[in-house]
Amino acid sequence: MTKTKTLLCALAAALAAGGAAAQGGAPAGDATKGRDKVQMCQGCHGIDGWRTAFPEVYTVPKIAGQHPAYIVAALKAYRGGDRTHPSMRAIAAQLTDRDMADLAAYYGDLGIKTAGTK
Amino acid sequence: MTTTSSLMGAIALAAFAASAPAAAANLDAGKQKAQEVCQACHGMDGLSAINAEYPKIGGQHRDYLAKALRDYKAGTRKNPIMGAMAQPLTAADIDNVTSYYAAQPGPLQSRY
Repeated sequence: MTKTKTLLCALAAALAAGGAAAQGGAPAGDATKGRDKVQMCQGCHGIDGWRTAFPEVYTVPKIAGQHPAYIVAALKAYRGGDRTHPSMRAIAAQLTDRDMADLAAYYGDLGIKTAGTK
Repeated sequence: MTTTSSLMGAIALAAFAASAPAAAANLDAGKQKAQEVCQACHGMDGLSAINAEYPKIGGQHRDYLAKALRDYKAGTRKNPIMGAMAQPLTAADIDNVTSYYAAQPGPLQSRY
């Protein structure tokens, strides 16, 4: 690793730490790691116009491009019971704070393009 | 027209009316309601730039936004701010204001 790269990494780490501190100690999300955790999300949120089946039928929300802090807040509300959709509650119950931050970073970053992106 | 086709027409019309509340939505009334109730936090563009914990709603699916407002109003989705905001909204207000925000351009999209 060159000195420049080392310096850049140190800068990036410092920025990430600063960002986490600014959010009151919440873990800073890693979009690359989030990408490896989307298996439970993509079946509904990856398909444009996909609809829920139970307990009420409506179109699942678009979440790519959403504010990461809101995505984390929504997942925590499902995990804690303030939001009640059964599938989302079951999924959020299995996520750590770190998972939520990584997923939020992945979905919040519009720079990420995948085959399924519209 | 035969009795059967009249009946089919009536059924089709009823089904359409039941499934398409947005068709009757008034975008101007929705914009007015957004100015009164929503824009202080969500902005007229629905991008909620004021606070990252507030969701972007511009360009979101209309029926999802309507479901969220109904749940806030009923108390089944718990949030002190949105509970208070949704409380006075009528069913027509919800149709109108969600149609307005769903029609705004925004960055939201579906993604794998």
